[in-house]
Amino acid sequence: MMTFLIADDAGVMRKVISRYLMEMGAIETQIFQAENGREAVTMASKEAYSLIFMDWNMPVLLGIDAVSEIRAGGIKTPILMVTTEGEKANVIRAIQAGASNYLTKPFTKEDFEAKVTQLVGPITAPIEDAKLRVDLAEGKIRPV
Amino acid sequence: MSIETSHKSSLDANLVNAVVASTMHVMSTIASTEVQCKEVKAQTDYKPCGDISAIINITGHNGEGMLALSFPVQLASIIVSRLIGITPDKLSVEDRCDGVGELVNMISGNTKSKLSEQNNTLYTLSLPTIIQGPKHHVSTRPKNNPYLLMLFEAEGQTFNLQVSFKTF
Repeated sequence: MMTFLIADDAGVMRKVISRYLMEMGAIETQIFQAENGREAVTMASKEAYSLIFMDWNMPVLLGIDAVSEIRAGGIKTPILMVTTEGEKANVIRAIQAGASNYLTKPFTKEDFEAKVTQLVGPITAPIEDAKLRVDLAEGKIRPV
Repeated sequence: MSIETSHKSSLDANLVNAVVASTMHVMSTIASTEVQCKEVKAQTDYKPCGDISAIINITGHNGEGMLALSFPVQLASIIVSRLIGITPDKLSVEDRCDGVGELVNMISGNTKSKLSEQNNTLYTLSLPTIIQGPKHHVSTRPKNNPYLLMLFEAEGQTFNLQVSFKTF
């Protein structure tokens, strides 16, 4: 099952990214959240996520330092930096730290989908949920 | 919209244009809201107010300053609810504050990227600070620091952005 970790101190941005992921086919139980870089490092060391979304400016531990720590721990999960830090020098710094790709805020839904698909391919929901969706679509079951 | 500034106390036109362009870009891209810059005041006794504000500091090798974004509460609710993809009546107070903070973060980030390329200098942003309370005024103007007030219009309502930036 694909799982996603969203590390951003702004709850609103975590909601935006969650919404876009769900519009791409993910369900709520596939999405996990961290409020700062330290939480992200801890969570990434305990769970093999399919993709990590990492903000740059966060309290406790900056996203760029969290990326370095995650890579230093031998974790190879793709990391997409999602940040307002759009300068070329910062993009290079993030890639050198181990980020897999970079998305500058503000972004459109299309920009987001393109980056995610490039990193993990189409998003798949868990099998049971996918079966429910097919059954719902075919009218075999009805929503309560 | 291109702004020319001529006052001694005003900010560099490049900075003003970068802030205006960034504000319009952020609002339309992430919150599907078209905004217009109605006025830029360089020197004024007028004290702008808002019900919810977000302030961010910007520092670099050759200067430092701050941006303060202030909204009336209704307009903040409309814009932030569009950002999240819900209706304004379902928006929590916490999300409204968080959303205004994220907007000033994106406007500041976009502005500093433009400035960095123009000045070949990297700038750093602070985390946003949020203030809420009916019709408060944010004083962003340390003595003698160049200052500008920008008035924007969206959805028939006005919001303001104050910029103070001093080069070394």
